[in-house]
Amino acid sequence: MGITYDFASIPGLIVRILNALPVTLIILFSSLAISLGIGALVAAGSMGQKKGLQGFCRGWIAFMRGVPTLVMIFLLYLGLPQLLDPIGIHMSQWNKLFFIITTLSLTASANMAEMIRTSYLAVDKGQREAALSVGMTNSMAFKRIVFPQAFGIAIPMLGNNMVALFKETSLAFTIGILDILGRARSISSMSYGANKLEVYIASAIIYWIICVLIEQGTKALERSYTKGRKRATA
Amino acid sequence: MDFQFIAHAFPEICKAIPITLLMTFASAFFGWLLGLIVAMVRRSKVPVLSQIFAVLVSFNRSVPSIILLYIAYYVVPAAIYFYAKSIGKEIDVSVIPAVIYSIAALTLNQAAYASEIFRTSIDAVGEGQVEAALSVGMTKTQAMFRIIFPQALATAIPNLSGLFIGLIKDTSLGYYVGVYEITSTANIISMPTLNFIEAYIMTTIIYELLSFLFNRLFGAEEKHLTRFRARVTA
Repeated sequence: MGITYDFASIPGLIVRILNALPVTLIILFSSLAISLGIGALVAAGSMGQKKGLQGFCRGWIAFMRGVPTLVMIFLLYLGLPQLLDPIGIHMSQWNKLFFIITTLSLTASANMAEMIRTSYLAVDKGQREAALSVGMTNSMAFKRIVFPQAFGIAIPMLGNNMVALFKETSLAFTIGILDILGRARSISSMSYGANKLEVYIASAIIYWIICVLIEQGTKALERSYTKGRKRATA
Repeated sequence: MDFQFIAHAFPEICKAIPITLLMTFASAFFGWLLGLIVAMVRRSKVPVLSQIFAVLVSFNRSVPSIILLYIAYYVVPAAIYFYAKSIGKEIDVSVIPAVIYSIAALTLNQAAYASEIFRTSIDAVGEGQVEAALSVGMTKTQAMFRIIFPQALATAIPNLSGLFIGLIKDTSLGYYVGVYEITSTANIISMPTLNFIEAYIMTTIIYELLSFLFNRLFGAEEKHLTRFRARVTA
């Protein structure tokens, strides 16, 4: 077993792998937007008055939290086309990005719903009552009073969820998408797998840097967003 | 739905549950132990070591588990090989089962997350608690084990529960390095007849049941550990 490593090649590999960054970012931001949308609906449903809808939304959160993303990818990418083929929907030619974005949107929606629910409930009830008492309508009270405060509370959780989602995008290579990890693996297979460890370390560094950027960005946003508010309460 | 396939495949997939549980328990045990050590070192601000741990924790939290798994897959055998060589032994590293690498990677991942959980929950125990313990004549170690840890653990349990469920889901990544746990077994079984939808629905159900079960167990443990709180408020 002869093992040779060429760690000096890592910076060059990082630059080559970064070519695939746009693909990863497309996956990240599409699934972030969709999961936030689903999450908002599920959160609203789980806090609503209708018992049936409430049960469904809580079940949704529990279900999506329990299933591994990888299994969900297989279920949608391998299973769903089989299920829909007999009724005339042929998904085999569909863009692979569709499958990964759908998967991540579904699995992330549980965390997003929990985030939205807890930050909504964290806003004091009196805030809404005060807004209504000065004559605001329900939707105005939500838009101008409750939402801005809930958003401030949600920022740190949003950052965490975004990091988690970003890491999950790495599973896109499973179905042959050339995202960061997919590109890294294809570079490695071009040299017959000789520099496998180096490409994985290079992609690890890329993920690391971007995660730190997301974390720092979230902190900066939180600081600037809650700045005026903290002063107001003091 | 191919019920004949389900009848044949379900017991086969169930046979893989022990491997999934082995990976989960081993990584949780070693990872959380390591995480506790890291948390203690970082809290007591041991110079150099503390900074190194901070960087390692950040790396392990930011890099997707799948990349950690691949890096472990290439680094651990090489490390064992070189170590054996340095003490004058030739060993065939190809006989080491892949489950070892998966556990190594998941352990590091768990240690990073657990150390953050332990750090915050130890910090959450009031300073007055230590002072009170010292004032009644306890030594620092006694105060740590009898006063701080039980309270910190009670605070940590909900987060540890989430971490554990996440770990169960992460064991599905063993699929990539050829560990025959639930997901890869389902994949292999469904390949010849292309019964993906059935296989992955069964897999999903198994994961859901495992998550549900452990969620309940952690919930019960939380109730048990926080019994001191109810008495205080009553």
